[in-house]
Amino acid sequence: MNAYFKSVWPPFVAVILFIAIWQGAVSLFHIEKWMLPAPSDIAREAATQAERLGMHASATIQLTLIGFAAGTAVGLLIAMVLHLVPFLKSALYPLLILSQNIPTIALAPLLLIWFGFGLLPKLITIILVCFFPVAVAAMDGLTRTDAAMMNYMRMAGAKRHHIFWKLELPHALPSVFSGIKIAATYSVMGAIIAEWIGADKGIGYYMMLQKSAYRTDRLFVAIMIIVALSLLLFLFIALLEKLLVRWRPQKR
Amino acid sequence: MNQQQDEHVQPERGARALEPKHGEKLHSANPDLPTNTTAATVPPALDVVDVHASFRERRSRLPVLNGLSLTVKQGEFVAIVGPSGCGKSTLFHIIGGLLKPQEGQVLMNGHDVTGQRGKISYMPQQPALFPWRTIEDNVLLAGEVAIDAPPRAEALAEARKWLSSVGLAGFEQAYPHMLSGGMQQRAAFLRALLSLQELMLLDEPFSALDALTRSDMQRWLLDIWEQNRRSVLFITHNIEEALLLADRVYVLSNRPATVLHEVHVPFDRPRREEITEESAFLERKRQIAQWMREEQQKARLS
Repeated sequence: MNAYFKSVWPPFVAVILFIAIWQGAVSLFHIEKWMLPAPSDIAREAATQAERLGMHASATIQLTLIGFAAGTAVGLLIAMVLHLVPFLKSALYPLLILSQNIPTIALAPLLLIWFGFGLLPKLITIILVCFFPVAVAAMDGLTRTDAAMMNYMRMAGAKRHHIFWKLELPHALPSVFSGIKIAATYSVMGAIIAEWIGADKGIGYYMMLQKSAYRTDRLFVAIMIIVALSLLLFLFIALLEKLLVRWRPQKR
Repeated sequence: MNQQQDEHVQPERGARALEPKHGEKLHSANPDLPTNTTAATVPPALDVVDVHASFRERRSRLPVLNGLSLTVKQGEFVAIVGPSGCGKSTLFHIIGGLLKPQEGQVLMNGHDVTGQRGKISYMPQQPALFPWRTIEDNVLLAGEVAIDAPPRAEALAEARKWLSSVGLAGFEQAYPHMLSGGMQQRAAFLRALLSLQELMLLDEPFSALDALTRSDMQRWLLDIWEQNRRSVLFITHNIEEALLLADRVYVLSNRPATVLHEVHVPFDRPRREEITEESAFLERKRQIAQWMREEQQKARLS
């Protein structure tokens, strides 16, 4: 417990200090509220807007979770298929990378034109940002199977599906999880962008409205919610990893 | 993989009545297999016939095995010693069916199994236990990947019985990294022992252990094997280890490897460690060491 406390207090103090300096600087230099609101203003605004924010946040959470789950599933599926069929891997890997070179901000309006204002274009946006880190990390993990264990499985006469399910996949699990952790934070970003481009609810939509009204304080409230959401999702995945990967990875 | 493979498995199963009890030998469970191996009636567990293998290296071919032949009779413990890099792993990969030799055959129980996998039980140099599986689940692994996997409950009961008889009681639910090197190798050996295939290939199983643990493990293996008498092919660098454990020792040449000499080890079983001080033992040890030295000299000169 003591060790845990030791690792927690430095960032905690840093955040407190940062907020204090921010608060002090805003009042000391008389910075206008529409330029940079003080933390106290942001907190007050969050309280008065609580109900409205709750509605928008729950919409965003819903979208994020569905998109994140779908994106992770797509990423794992792609990794599995490409790993088991090396020909497909060499053929499609460049396309995967290409898919990441298209800016999401440019793609989202296109998806809107093609698929309308429903859930589908938003979901596709999130899947597109989420699947890549999962797929790459999983494929990487799958190819790094321990040589001695692989040799044992082959000598013992294990079939391909046995090798995959009993050796390669569990061995790749830590690597898969680092991909999923990245995807978790990306998925919140993807949801915000999707809502920003075309939606009638959600934090992204709320931000777009407040930006037009120059309500900087409310924008900051929205940013806080996004940060909190990303953090929560990340922590949840980290917890899941702790539960599933109980064994200590081998030192090389 | 094919029908031929399936029909081979049956006779091997009969020979596998594993009972960790003293004096109950494997073959007594199967009346069809006489304990004295007369070549005419019982085909050998393993017969490697004139195997040639080479690897492509740039544009030339690098020969690795050059007409190597060896035999493991039913219930016999055979060791292979040879200079390092002589192609022992290639030989094991051929017996395991991972590689196909350019020439020659691998026969098991009289059937041609060249290039067929899943015919042997294998214990690698590193324990290669899966770190995410408990010791119990690791030991069960070989059964899980077998062609006709036994029911899990049955396999589990047998595994538990064995774990306690090899001194791993209380570690069934432990993960491999919690165990010492020697205990890990015991679990790896058990994993091989509990797999359905009658022939065991042991690939320098004790080479990564320290000297004390190693001699401890040799005594342990001797004990376990003398109770069960599986057919074993054992690779080692250690001449004394080979002579202590095996009924016969093959001495291999440099690469490309052939069988240079075959040494019969005439000591009775159950063996005790004291035989390492007998003159017949020392004489053979000296002789093999000299052959190995000559081979190494040849390698240096060429």
